[in-house]
Amino acid sequence: MTAIDVSDLGKTYRYHHKDPGLRGSLSSLFRRQTLEKCAVVGVSFAVEAGAVVGFLGPNGAGKTTTLKMLCGLLYPSHGAAQVLGFTPSRREPAFLRQISLVMGQKAMLWWDLPAMETLLLHKEMYSIPSGQFRQTVDDLAELLDVGPLLRVQVRKLSLGERMKMELLTALVHRPAVLFLDEPTIGLDVVSQQRVRDFLRQLNREQGTTILLTSHYMADIEALCPRVLLIDQGRLHFDGSLATLVERAAPPKLLSAVFARPVPDAAIAAALNGLPLQPTDDPLRIRVAVPREQTAAVAERLLHAGRLADLSIEDVPVEAIIRGIFSETATGGGLQ
Amino acid sequence: MKARALGRLTAMNVMLTLEYRAAVSVFILNSVARPVISLLIWLTVSDQGVRLPYGRGQLVTYYVVLGVVSMLTATWLDETLPQHIRLGGLSPWLLRPAPYVFYYISENLGQKLVNLSTLLPLVLVVAFAFRADLRLPTSPLPWLIFAASLPLAMAIRFLLELVLCSLAFWVEDVEGVLALQSVLGAFLAGQYIPLALFPPSLSGFLDAQPFRYTLSFPLEVLMGTLSAGALASGFAWASGYCLVLWCCCRLPWRSGLRAYSATGA
Repeated sequence: MTAIDVSDLGKTYRYHHKDPGLRGSLSSLFRRQTLEKCAVVGVSFAVEAGAVVGFLGPNGAGKTTTLKMLCGLLYPSHGAAQVLGFTPSRREPAFLRQISLVMGQKAMLWWDLPAMETLLLHKEMYSIPSGQFRQTVDDLAELLDVGPLLRVQVRKLSLGERMKMELLTALVHRPAVLFLDEPTIGLDVVSQQRVRDFLRQLNREQGTTILLTSHYMADIEALCPRVLLIDQGRLHFDGSLATLVERAAPPKLLSAVFARPVPDAAIAAALNGLPLQPTDDPLRIRVAVPREQTAAVAERLLHAGRLADLSIEDVPVEAIIRGIFSETATGGGLQ
Repeated sequence: MKARALGRLTAMNVMLTLEYRAAVSVFILNSVARPVISLLIWLTVSDQGVRLPYGRGQLVTYYVVLGVVSMLTATWLDETLPQHIRLGGLSPWLLRPAPYVFYYISENLGQKLVNLSTLLPLVLVVAFAFRADLRLPTSPLPWLIFAASLPLAMAIRFLLELVLCSLAFWVEDVEGVLALQSVLGAFLAGQYIPLALFPPSLSGFLDAQPFRYTLSFPLEVLMGTLSAGALASGFAWASGYCLVLWCCCRLPWRSGLRAYSATGA
C-alpha cells in the first residue's frame, strides 16, 4: 500500500530583494523588487507504508519545503501530493490525526509548562482513550528514558531531553506517517544513537512510515534503506543508499607502510600518476585509488618495496555524499 | 472532543499566565489606575461647574465598571498572532487536528480568567471608595441585558483583530496598523472619554461604528441610559457586526493560509 504519493510537486516562494545598508532599505521603501525562488521543482516519488526513507540534500535543497507540503503546512505551487489517501493542503482532521512532524528544535511543546501538559492536551485533541494514553506515554518514556522529566518545565530541560520530549509528543497519538526534519540536530552522539534506535524500533514494531531528513549521514545509514537525493529543488536520485554510493563510484583509500625507505621513483611508478595524500610518517603512503585500479596498484606496491602493512578502505559515506552535492552544485552529478 | 480540548487549552493558558505574576500585577494596576485617573479628571471638571451629559453618579458608575468590561472584552492577538504568522509559530497549531483559532481563543480566555480574579478585588476597593456616588442597577433585568451584550462585545473585538492580524500573511509589518486600531479603537469605544460626552452632532457616527459595541454599549446598558428602541437598535448593530466580521475573517484566512510560508518551523 502506498502511504505517500508525490507527482510533479513544486513550490515557488516570492521574496523581496534588498541591498545592504540604510540606502538599500530606503530604496526598497519606494521601489521594491519582487523575486521568485523555485524551492521545489517537479518532484515525484512514492513511499510504501511502513518504509523508512531518507531525504538527502544540502542546505536550501528543498527537503524541508517538501516535508512541509506533505504535512499540509504549505500549499504546493504546482503538482499533487497524496498522503494516506488525503490531499495534505486540505488539512482534514482525519489526515492530521494520522501524521506527525518533528522539526528539529521547533516546539510542539509549551516552553513554560512540563511536557506532560502538552501530552494531556494531545490526549484530548486526538481523542486518545485514557488507558491507551497512559500505556503509550509509559512505553515511549521508557524507550526514550525520559520518565522523570515529564513533569519538569520544558525550558529547564537540556537540548537532547527536549528533542526526546518532542518525539514523545509527536508519537503519543501513534501516527501512521512520521515526518522528521533533522531529528538529531544538536544532540550528543549518545543521544543521537538512542533516537536512532528508538526510531528503528518504532518502525519495526508499529510499522510507522518514516520520511526523514538529516545532515548526519549516520542517521541515514542507520535508518534508511532507501534515500531520495534532492538538490536545488530537483530530485536527483531515488534508490538504495548502496546504489547511490555505487553510482557515485567513490575511490578506495589505500594505505601502505613500508618496512624501510623506498625511492620516490619506485612509488611513483607503482601509483602510475595517482596523487599521494600527505602523511606524518615518511614510510607511510596514502592514496585514493579508483575502484577498478585498486588490485593493480596494490600489486605494484607489493613489488615496489618490502611492506610492513597494507590496508584498503572505503571512503566514508559522508564524504561520498559531500562529493555528490558539490558535483550537482557545479552541474555534474549522478548519471 | 472540541470542548474538552478547548477546556484543556484554556487551563494550560491559565497555568502559563500564572507563571508571569509580575506581568499580571502591572497589567492589573494599569487596568485600575487608568479609569480612576480619568474619573478624577472628569469629577474635577464636573465640580468646576461644567455641565456634562453625565452626572456625578453616572461618571462614577461608568469608570468603575469600565475596568471590568475592558478586561472582559480585551484581546491580545496583536501581541502574538502577527509574529506567529511571520515567523512560523502558527505551524504547530496547523498540524493539530483542531481549529488553529482554538489556541487564540483559549489564550484569551486563560488570560482573562487570571486577570479578572486579580482585578475584581481591586475594582471592589475602588467601588467602595466611590460608594456614595455609585449607581448600579438593583433589579436583575439590566444585569441580564448587560450580560447578553458582553459576548457580542467580546466577539466583535476578537474577530476585528483576527481580520487585521491576517494582514500579516501578506504585509511584513502589521504592527503599525494594529497600533492605530488599538488607539483609535479605544478612543471610539469610550475608553478615554464616554461617548455621551462627544458633541451631539457625532452621535449618528458614534452609534454606527463598531468600536462602540466593544465597550461603551455594555456600559450604557448597565447604566440604563438607553431607551428600549436604542437597546434594540444597539443589539441589532452588534449582532450585525459579529456576522459581518465572522464572514470577513474566513476569506483572508483561507487565502492567507495559502500564502503562509511556515518560515523556520
